Amino acid sequence: MRSRSAVLASAVACSLVLAACGSKGEAPSGGSGGGDTLAIGASLSLTGSLAREGKLTQEGYQLCQDKVNAQGGVPVGGKKLKLAIQFQDDTSKPDTAAQLVDQFNDKGVKLILASYGSANTEAQAAVIERNGQVMADSAGADNKIFSKGYKRTFAVLSPATEYASSIVKSIAELAQPKPKTVVFLSADDGFSKTVTEGGMKTAKEQGFTVLSPQYFPNGTSDVSSSLIKVKGQRPDVIIGSVHLVEGIAIVKQAKELGVAPAGGFGETVAPPTPDFAKTLGGQAENVLGSSQWTPSTKGQDKYFGNAQQYTADIKAKYGHDAEYHDAEASAACLALVLAAEAAGDTSPDKVRDALAALDTTSFFGQIKFDATGQNVYKPMSVIQIQKGKAVTVWPKDAAEAGFVWPGTAP
Amino acid sequence: MTSFLQATLYGLLQGGLLGLIAVGFSLVWGVMNIVNLAHGAFVVLGAYVGWQVNDWIGLDPFLGMFVAAAVLFGLGYGLQRWLINLVVNGPVFITLLLTFGLDLMIVQAMNIAFSADYRSIPTSYAGNSLHLGGVRVPVGRLLAFGVSVAVTLALVALINRTRTGLSIMATGMDRGAARLMGIRARHVYALTFGIAAGLAGMAGTMVGTVGTFNPAAAGGYTLLSFVIAVLGGLGNMYGALIGGLVIGLVEAWAGQYLSGTWINALAFLVLVVVLIVRPSGLVGRAYYAARLEV
Repeated sequence: MRSRSAVLASAVACSLVLAACGSKGEAPSGGSGGGDTLAIGASLSLTGSLAREGKLTQEGYQLCQDKVNAQGGVPVGGKKLKLAIQFQDDTSKPDTAAQLVDQFNDKGVKLILASYGSANTEAQAAVIERNGQVMADSAGADNKIFSKGYKRTFAVLSPATEYASSIVKSIAELAQPKPKTVVFLSADDGFSKTVTEGGMKTAKEQGFTVLSPQYFPNGTSDVSSSLIKVKGQRPDVIIGSVHLVEGIAIVKQAKELGVAPAGGFGETVAPPTPDFAKTLGGQAENVLGSSQWTPSTKGQDKYFGNAQQYTADIKAKYGHDAEYHDAEASAACLALVLAAEAAGDTSPDKVRDALAALDTTSFFGQIKFDATGQNVYKPMSVIQIQKGKAVTVWPKDAAEAGFVWPGTAP
Repeated sequence: MTSFLQATLYGLLQGGLLGLIAVGFSLVWGVMNIVNLAHGAFVVLGAYVGWQVNDWIGLDPFLGMFVAAAVLFGLGYGLQRWLINLVVNGPVFITLLLTFGLDLMIVQAMNIAFSADYRSIPTSYAGNSLHLGGVRVPVGRLLAFGVSVAVTLALVALINRTRTGLSIMATGMDRGAARLMGIRARHVYALTFGIAAGLAGMAGTMVGTVGTFNPAAAGGYTLLSFVIAVLGGLGNMYGALIGGLVIGLVEAWAGQYLSGTWINALAFLVLVVVLIVRPSGLVGRAYYAARLEV
């Protein structure tokens, strides 16, 4: 018996070693600047807990490659370089995402597109800095990533503090009657906490009475204790700093527990995801959410056109409506491409400087970075679920529909 | 006071559902000494079966759970009979590795077949609630709780009162002796694993009715089942339900009187304390762990 398990254990060990060697030994398909391709590395969460968002991110990167190559490639210093994005699966784990960045570096790939989410991106940003690579961040919005003095990570998306703030601002501007009290229900991961802090600050500035926030474990599908706690305080508005699962749980369990705010619910990133309305059906109606991008976003660029054209392209290629996850990924890729073009060079230092100086309009809105690498120039959109669809209701100049208030049936 | 009652009630209902999730895991571990790391994947697969028959023919999930149970029973029986039985005599490490591999394969297969989108089985009534004074009783969770209690009682009756059940019990206590008495251990093992998978399938359909699921949720259910099985104790069919109720209540009260982020830490603290005081779990029987392997 012992010898059999020993044989098995060594077989497992061997195969693991071989797998590791195999991935290291892969021939690089053109390093940065070498040949007629521009190699970009992308670690993606294709399996694990972020598989859904990871897949959308991959779509966004892939569409960017298709669009750029359809125009012959990236014009860099008189040559047109075909974009060649190398995808690797980080299994939704920050450690693996960071290791993959190192692996890309070993292969000579210096330009990187970030993985999905703040945790992965934060882990990657540290490695990028050490290796002298450059990363375009598509989905890491936590302000903490940008408070460490990193010089080589650039996020196309609005920072975390804007997620709940934008909802608060839309309510302050458009809600009639204006609600008085607001409570925040928040997941306990770094990103959601930053969202909550930003939202509470804005709510106080706007003159709302802000009740003490309730936290629950990140990724939980049971938020009942937080709801029971706030039920007695009768808040007018409940704002969740959440991901999809917790966002769905808040609406479902609020109904079960009879928690019905006089104004309505706001839930940051959950409502813009189609699964939200699909899963909740009628209960999703009139819930507010915030989005990095909607198909009514203003602006255009030479590769993607405007937001409507982008939506049509995603629909044609992938058969579903474009989500902001698609768009932010394409926008990050676009930023890298435009920077390489502006620099006329693919060396990481030159591309970095070009990114820092980038100021362009695009299908994603304005792309411009402050000294920390955040795109603070682009406003977030507020959406509301109306008749099962997410429609833009704020800012007013991009609104597709009126603001329905109160959002909960009396 | 109302919020205490509300939290307690909700915790009990939630605990019942947790017990249903864990009961199959506890059964397999108790009888075969297999820590089935694919259990959570069975739960999620059950949710998908319930969802799929609802999507096709509009079958109510409280009927769909029997379809899920049947499908998962077949899968479980086959896996044990023709795969896990090959290594069931090996060290626990080997079955652990095998079920870990099964878990990866089932989860990835679900990712491919159903995508990683979040889903929920829609009903017109599960989200409604009954008013009991100031306390709300959610209908879907109440029904799921009823299912959990009924399943536990049925399992106890099966194990204690039927020939099949007694042979499961006997094989669990002493495989060698059971075989000498003419019990076909391979078949009994497959039956046990099938029943466990079937119960996981039922639990999955319940989870899908009151909450949401996607393939990535599988790992969480396995871990939860592990905690509940250890807490309740192996070798007693009531163990999982009791363990589930304790975890449900502890989480509800922790959320109410401490910060909501302490929920998980406190649940594990209770586990540690119980294991110090009663190493074989709340109602577990030590002889299951002490039996001889032949």
